[in-house]
Amino acid sequence: MAHHGLRRLLFFTAVIFFAFSIGDRAFSAAPFPVIGALQKVSGTGFVVRQDQIIPAKAGLEIQANDTLRTDPGGSIGVVFQDDTVLSLGPGSVLVIDEFVYAPRQGKLSLVLRMMKGTAVYLSGLIAKLAPDSVQFVTPSASIGVRGTKFAVKVEER
Amino acid sequence: MDGKRLFRKDNRVNQMKVWHEVQIVWPMLFLLAGCSVNRDLKVTPPAPQAKVEQVQVEAERPKGDLFVLLPEPDGKTGAIRVTNAGGSQILDRPGDTTRVEDFNSPPIAPQPLDEKEIGSIFAKALSAQPDLSPRFVSFILWFESDKTKLTDPSKKTLPDIMRTIKIRKPKEIHIVGHTDRVGTDSHNLKLSSRRANFVRDFFSSKGIKSGVLVVSFLGESRPLVNTEDEVAEPLNRRVEVMIR
Repeated sequence: MAHHGLRRLLFFTAVIFFAFSIGDRAFSAAPFPVIGALQKVSGTGFVVRQDQIIPAKAGLEIQANDTLRTDPGGSIGVVFQDDTVLSLGPGSVLVIDEFVYAPRQGKLSLVLRMMKGTAVYLSGLIAKLAPDSVQFVTPSASIGVRGTKFAVKVEER
Repeated sequence: MDGKRLFRKDNRVNQMKVWHEVQIVWPMLFLLAGCSVNRDLKVTPPAPQAKVEQVQVEAERPKGDLFVLLPEPDGKTGAIRVTNAGGSQILDRPGDTTRVEDFNSPPIAPQPLDEKEIGSIFAKALSAQPDLSPRFVSFILWFESDKTKLTDPSKKTLPDIMRTIKIRKPKEIHIVGHTDRVGTDSHNLKLSSRRANFVRDFFSSKGIKSGVLVVSFLGESRPLVNTEDEVAEPLNRRVEVMIR
C-alpha cells in the first residue's frame, strides 16, 4: 500500500515538473505587456512576477499580475499607463489582478488587491472613462471609486 | 442598488481568489522546491513564503482596515464608496474616514480624521507619491439644460483648453459626455453622446486630428453632484476633457 502511494506521488511530481518546464518556456516567449513603472523607491521593495522576485528600483517596468511588496522600512511609488498613481508604505503587499488600458477599443479595467500595509491611490484615466471598471479590494471591503484620491491601511491579519 | 451590485461582484471575485490560491499553493511549492534542485536559481527563497503568507492573510480573522478620502492635487475632492457583506458607506468630504472590522461587519459611519493623524499613519506612503506633473490635465465644460449648447462661462474655457493642447501636443484627448438625472436613462445616454460629439466637432474644426480624439459618454450614471432621479443639477450637465 505504502509503495503504491509513493509511486503515485512520484508520478504526480514528474507530471508537474514536465508541465512546469513547458509552462516556463511558454511564459518567457509571450511576456505580459508593460502597464506602468516604479518611481520613488526608498528602502527595500520587490516586484514578484511568476517565479521571479525583482528588487524594486526607480524605472522598473511592471506588468499585470505582478505583486508589489515593501519591507518594513521600504516604500515605493508606481505610475500606471493611464496615469493612475499608487504608492505603498512600509510592510505592504498589493496584487495587480488586472490592468487593461485600451480606450480606443473601449477596453478598460483596473483591479488592485491590497493584502496588508498602507497605500495612497490617485485615480487615473480608467476611473474617469469607465468608473465601474475600477476595483480596489481589501480583505474587509471593496472601494468604488469616483475619480479621486484616498488612503488605505490594511491590518496584518 | 449600486452598492449591492458592487458587493455581489466582489464577493464572487474574492471567493474565486481564495479557492484559486488554495488550489495552486501546493503545486506551486512543489515546483519551486523542484526548481532549486534542477537548475540555477532564478527563484530566491522568499517566493514560497510570499504565497503561504497570502493564504494566511485570507484565512485568519481580520482586525480592521482604515479608509480615508483625501483631497485631490487640484483641490477637488471626489468620493469613494466602501462596500462589503455588512453594508456600504460613502465618503465624500476630504479627511472622511471609515473603519471596517472584517468583510461581514458594516463599515462604520464616516468620521473626520485630522490632517496630522492622516500624515502620521500614511507618512511613508504619502512621501512615495510619484511626480504628478506629467499627468493628464482635465477641464469641464458645462451645458444648458437638455441641450448641446455650452453655458456662457464654459464658452470662455475653450481658449484655455486650446492653449493647453498647443503646449502639450497630446497623443490622446478624451472627451466624456454626461447629463443630469432629468429624463430617462436612454434619453440621457443619447444626450451625453451628442454633447461629447459637439465638443469633438469643435476640436476638429480647430484642426485637431481625429486620431487624437477619443469620445465616450456615460449618460446620467456618473453625476458630479449626487442627486435623486429627476432632479435638475447644472453641475452634472457636462463634458469632461482630459488632455495627455
